[in-house]
Amino acid sequence: MKIGIPKALMYYFYYPFWKTLFESLGFEVVTSDDTSKSILDIGVKEAVAEICVPMKVYTGHVLNLLDKSVDYIYIPRFVSLRKGIFMCPKFMGLPDMIKGLFDGIENKILTHNIVSKSTDISEFHNYTVFIDKLGVSRKDLKNALKKARDKWLEFRTLNKQGYDINELLTSDKPKKYEGDITIGLIGYVYNVYDRFVNMDLLNVFRKLNIKVVTFDMMEERIIQRQLKKFKKNMFWEFTNMLLGTAYEFMERDDIDGIIHITAFGCGPDSIVEPFLTIDSEKHKKPFMTLRIDEQTGESHVITRVEAFTDLIRIKKYKAEKTVEGVI
Amino acid sequence: MEKIYIGVDVGSVSIKVVAIDENNEVLFNSYVRNVGQPIDTVKDELAKLHNELATKEIGGVGVTGSGRQLLGYILGADVIKNEITAHATATLQFHPDVSTIFEIGGQDSKLIIINDGTITDFAMNTVCAAGTGSFLDHQAQRLGIKIEEFGEIALTAKRDVRIAGRCTVFAESDMISKQQYGFSKAEILKGLSKALVRNYMNNLVRGRKLKPVFVFQGGVAANIAIKKAFEEEVGHEVIVPKHYDIMGAIGIAMLAKDEMKRTGNSTKFKGFEVSEEKFETTSFICKACPNECEIIQIKANGKVIAMTGDRCGRYSNSVI
Repeated sequence: MKIGIPKALMYYFYYPFWKTLFESLGFEVVTSDDTSKSILDIGVKEAVAEICVPMKVYTGHVLNLLDKSVDYIYIPRFVSLRKGIFMCPKFMGLPDMIKGLFDGIENKILTHNIVSKSTDISEFHNYTVFIDKLGVSRKDLKNALKKARDKWLEFRTLNKQGYDINELLTSDKPKKYEGDITIGLIGYVYNVYDRFVNMDLLNVFRKLNIKVVTFDMMEERIIQRQLKKFKKNMFWEFTNMLLGTAYEFMERDDIDGIIHITAFGCGPDSIVEPFLTIDSEKHKKPFMTLRIDEQTGESHVITRVEAFTDLIRIKKYKAEKTVEGVI
Repeated sequence: MEKIYIGVDVGSVSIKVVAIDENNEVLFNSYVRNVGQPIDTVKDELAKLHNELATKEIGGVGVTGSGRQLLGYILGADVIKNEITAHATATLQFHPDVSTIFEIGGQDSKLIIINDGTITDFAMNTVCAAGTGSFLDHQAQRLGIKIEEFGEIALTAKRDVRIAGRCTVFAESDMISKQQYGFSKAEILKGLSKALVRNYMNNLVRGRKLKPVFVFQGGVAANIAIKKAFEEEVGHEVIVPKHYDIMGAIGIAMLAKDEMKRTGNSTKFKGFEVSEEKFETTSFICKACPNECEIIQIKANGKVIAMTGDRCGRYSNSVI
């Protein structure tokens, strides 16, 4: 049996888990192609008009998988990864949104709820639907979940050591990239790591000799420590992670500036943005928002990133000069 | 022989070419509308520059603006930099005490904040061009007024009229209904000026505390009504620099000069012969992958000298 996994949204956070899980159960795993203009175009055409571009891209990936004669497309419903905190409502409605695409697609969808105590999504009770639908035994499922969990924790450990997710997912010998300045990049995995949607942003940074740190590279306890400072937290899991990470970045001396990459029309991000704008100024950290949508011209991204790094470098060199002058 | 430095700013609406000397004095300047043939326009302007300053040696060339990569390649630029850094560099030269720069061009608008002579913050318009020169151009055209006369006419308005500035489509329907109510053209123009500034404050300033000295530059700074609307908004004098419309080009020329002095290299400028070469631009859709990029190919005298538009580098890396 062939299980298709769309290369979009949570793919960038959970692919090692899903791949191991299905392969351990004896299934073949097929992913959609890398995001491309045709995937974006078809997603934009078929998805609900008002939705954010990452959801449209996801729709494009689902349709791309249908061409690969898969038996099922795996579209879990992420509900909660922490007690009392939820995922963005679009994630909760995602399987239904895909079911609404056309008649008959429902039979191709493998879905179940994920309600978890943490980002470790290996709790058995979430997956019991596999027993009937995929015809696997409880024992095999338990074993497969354990293997998947181990593999995912391994991936996360490397990720937190500073390897970016694209390196880990695409290369056997992942590399770390350094630079003369460091930027804290605040954004969801699907905005940071989808090279097509974000105009290959990480590569733009690399060419400008900039080191990038992202939320997925942070230890979760550090994020949680920052979040404790707030009277109350956001309703959405990954939004909280971005917020906690951003405040950590504001306090860290080795972070020279913060960039928030956000999809046009993202509701949760619209609440994060004012926090970052106001408080990064208080912390005297240069801050900028990059907004991505359906556009494919990259010059606006390059202009902004270039100007932002000029600003940081001038500031940094000036500070160093003053130090030299004093000595 | 005395050295000069050339700055070229290839904007979406206009093209600016300047030459400065060692002391940043502007020896040559030109501002022409970009009618879709940027390469030819730059060629023509460079030929004029060469005519006027034939005895000088070219010390360096800088290119900025949205078309900077391609033109920079064609000219053999020493420095290719974004327009924000270029603008701020020039402003700091002429007004060293500046704190706030309003820059409004054809298709984008910028806010640059300076502290102690260093850029500390900037903002650019995001999704829409309602608060830019193109918006004014379009509305002036609708009212049958030359853009050059816009400011003067607006200043003769006796009453205030509020026009929605968030979106060109809404502004237009608002304008039509206000005209039907009997407001004069001058009053409508004044309303548009205020709408543009309101939109700018809303989209770019976004609650930042702005400090004087204020400098307003870019093509739209020619419009005295907008300058006045800015002054009313910030409650302070706003300076429009002498070279307001070519600041980006001056700034990039200065950056080229600094770069050449810092490195001690000689310029990579391909020479004025470039203005005699025949350039031809063609494009095709690459079918190698599902991205289907539009590849733009530039030929000089029949030889391919630059290719761009591909995401993967298949073509752009193949031409050196």
